[in-house]
Amino acid sequence: MNLRQLNRILLQTLLVPVVALFFVAGVLALQIRKAEISVAHMQAASDNITAAARVSALTVDEETGIRGYQLTANEIFLQPYGLAQAPLGQALHDLRDGLARQGIDPRTVDDFVLAHDTWRVAYAEPIIQATRNGTDTRDTGLNLRAKAQMDHVRSLITRIIQLEQTQRNETIRTWRRQVRQTLQILVILAVVIGLAIGITARNRLHAVSDAFQNTLEEVRHNAQLIYESEQRLRTMLTSIGDGIIVCDRFGKVELLNTVAEQLTGWRHTEAVNEPIDKIFHLVNEATRESVEAPAASFPQLPPSLNDTRNNPLANHPILIRRNGTEIPIQESEAPITDRAGKVAGVVIVFRDITEQRRSQTTLLATEKLAVAGRLAATLAHEIHNPLDSVSNLLYLMQSDPKPEDMTQFLDLASKELDRVAQISRAMLGMYRESKEPVAIDVQEMLDSILLLLDRQLRHAQVSLHTEFEPGALITGYPAELRQVFINLLTNAADASTSGSRIELRTEICAERRWNARTPDLPPRPAGVAITISDNGEGIADDILPKLFQPFFTTKGEQGTGLGLWVSQGIVQKHGGTIAINSSTDTKGHGTMVTVFLPRGEAVLA
Amino acid sequence: MPEPRRLVLCVDDEAVGLLVRKMILERAGYKVLTAQDGATGLEVFAEEPIEAVVLDYAMPGMDGGQVAACMRARKPQVPILLLSAYLALPSDVTRHVDVYMTKGEGAPMFLEKLNGLFSTVST
Repeated sequence: MNLRQLNRILLQTLLVPVVALFFVAGVLALQIRKAEISVAHMQAASDNITAAARVSALTVDEETGIRGYQLTANEIFLQPYGLAQAPLGQALHDLRDGLARQGIDPRTVDDFVLAHDTWRVAYAEPIIQATRNGTDTRDTGLNLRAKAQMDHVRSLITRIIQLEQTQRNETIRTWRRQVRQTLQILVILAVVIGLAIGITARNRLHAVSDAFQNTLEEVRHNAQLIYESEQRLRTMLTSIGDGIIVCDRFGKVELLNTVAEQLTGWRHTEAVNEPIDKIFHLVNEATRESVEAPAASFPQLPPSLNDTRNNPLANHPILIRRNGTEIPIQESEAPITDRAGKVAGVVIVFRDITEQRRSQTTLLATEKLAVAGRLAATLAHEIHNPLDSVSNLLYLMQSDPKPEDMTQFLDLASKELDRVAQISRAMLGMYRESKEPVAIDVQEMLDSILLLLDRQLRHAQVSLHTEFEPGALITGYPAELRQVFINLLTNAADASTSGSRIELRTEICAERRWNARTPDLPPRPAGVAITISDNGEGIADDILPKLFQPFFTTKGEQGTGLGLWVSQGIVQKHGGTIAINSSTDTKGHGTMVTVFLPRGEAVLA
Repeated sequence: MPEPRRLVLCVDDEAVGLLVRKMILERAGYKVLTAQDGATGLEVFAEEPIEAVVLDYAMPGMDGGQVAACMRARKPQVPILLLSAYLALPSDVTRHVDVYMTKGEGAPMFLEKLNGLFSTVST
């Protein structure tokens, strides 16, 4: 049942009594109208009776006056007769009108007037005249006739009165009947209407009640479904292997799954409604500064092109557990939006990466060893060759010492030993680990690397073109960065065909702020961009996205597949970026790797 | 001292090493021709009546193994001595040469091995 149907039912339930009341009122009005007519009839009958009684009384007055005058011959006694004439005419007139209004034949009044006039002319007037004349009026015959006439007159008026009384009684009976009838109708109507209203209301309300019952059941069913769905989601959340924390838009914790409980050390029941900072306290691994709670600030900045999430070497937050112990984690957040698209909360997903770290450390060591191994092979030549020359020169000097040759031999030997010393110095710098980031002159670093790679490049018959901007400084760990550039330059050399050229450039970059006109360029601090370009075959588009994945290699047995992955991690750890552009076009094929490293605190010494 | 003076070809990309080796060989009584890469070495080898070759293994372009294979194909009777900084070289490299030695074993050993090549050939 929808709202429209419900409204219709309510209207019906209200309309039935209203219509019934109108009907009762109509019936009552009709009955009252009838009663009013009856009352009017009674009134008319009463008026007529009154008029007739007055006629009767005046007639008596007339006769009394005549009789008194007849006896006394005194005019005073005749007065009632004279005084009755005018009112009698009026009363008769009223009576006639009244009868006519009642629909009764008025001729009975005419009969009376005729009989009365007859009495007056035939008896009253002559008796008066005779008395005045002093004539004896005691004639028995005349008086008997006069009396008979008067009796006739009286009987006429009495008949009228009786008629009217009968009429009035009839009307009263009718009226009483009507009253009784009205009462009966009212009682019957009350019963019928009461029943009708009751039945209708019952029917209608029954429909409403059914609908209400259905709605209730539907609501109960939906509630059950929601409960089941929530249980399902809850079970999913708790059984997921990652830690999950849900908080509302004010940063208050709403839910912790089992893994999140284990990792944070807080129980769900204790954590609910606590601020997220307290339950999920993160610090930066390197700086030890608190990391702002994710719920407090939603990512409004353009997305970083340099997502550190999947590289284990990049900085990750450390979770300070409830008992104060620390675990490295990898985390991501996603906002929960309501129907209007507003942020209603946040879901934080995180995992313990201690084990991952451990295996990654092993992988890193493997790659470091592989780089060292490859370098060692190159260096064997670099050192062996001059040593062999020096050894041979010593042999020459010992076996047949000619003074004229000595200077040349010593000079050659000295130069060869200088080469060895230079290489050994570069080698030492290579593996001098530094605990703290230091200022690095980029050109100096690249020069020392090129010294080590010189032979490798010559063997590959690749010419190297360098363009260094002087004064390029960065802050970082020299040994790690050397590893990066050895890796990138070796890749370039491996990709190059003999006779081609590799370009190595450095460029000092000013700080770049976010600009609405170039929204794709993320903001970055001041630093140095180092570009390594080769004219190799280039990298196919389907391979490009895989380059930074661990164990991905195009070199078969020769590569560990870790070089670029490790390099990316190191660069990101330095707060820098690494990007690869490549083209396989027949005309301008080649690959360009750009490494950006921030200057940081480094200043010219 | 062998008589008459034998003609030896030295191939090495290291200029100083090549120069010193040439002087040692000349003092030992050899006539020496030099080349700084494999391609030049093969040209000289084809044109001159070379009696023995001293090859460096690690060189830009063609390595010592490839140069030795070409020389073997052209004049299989000419003995070849391969020098390398590597301690172990694959057998498909060493099978084209008569003697293989690592740099740093010293000049007397070098001369001895080179001389040994001729005695092998002459017998």
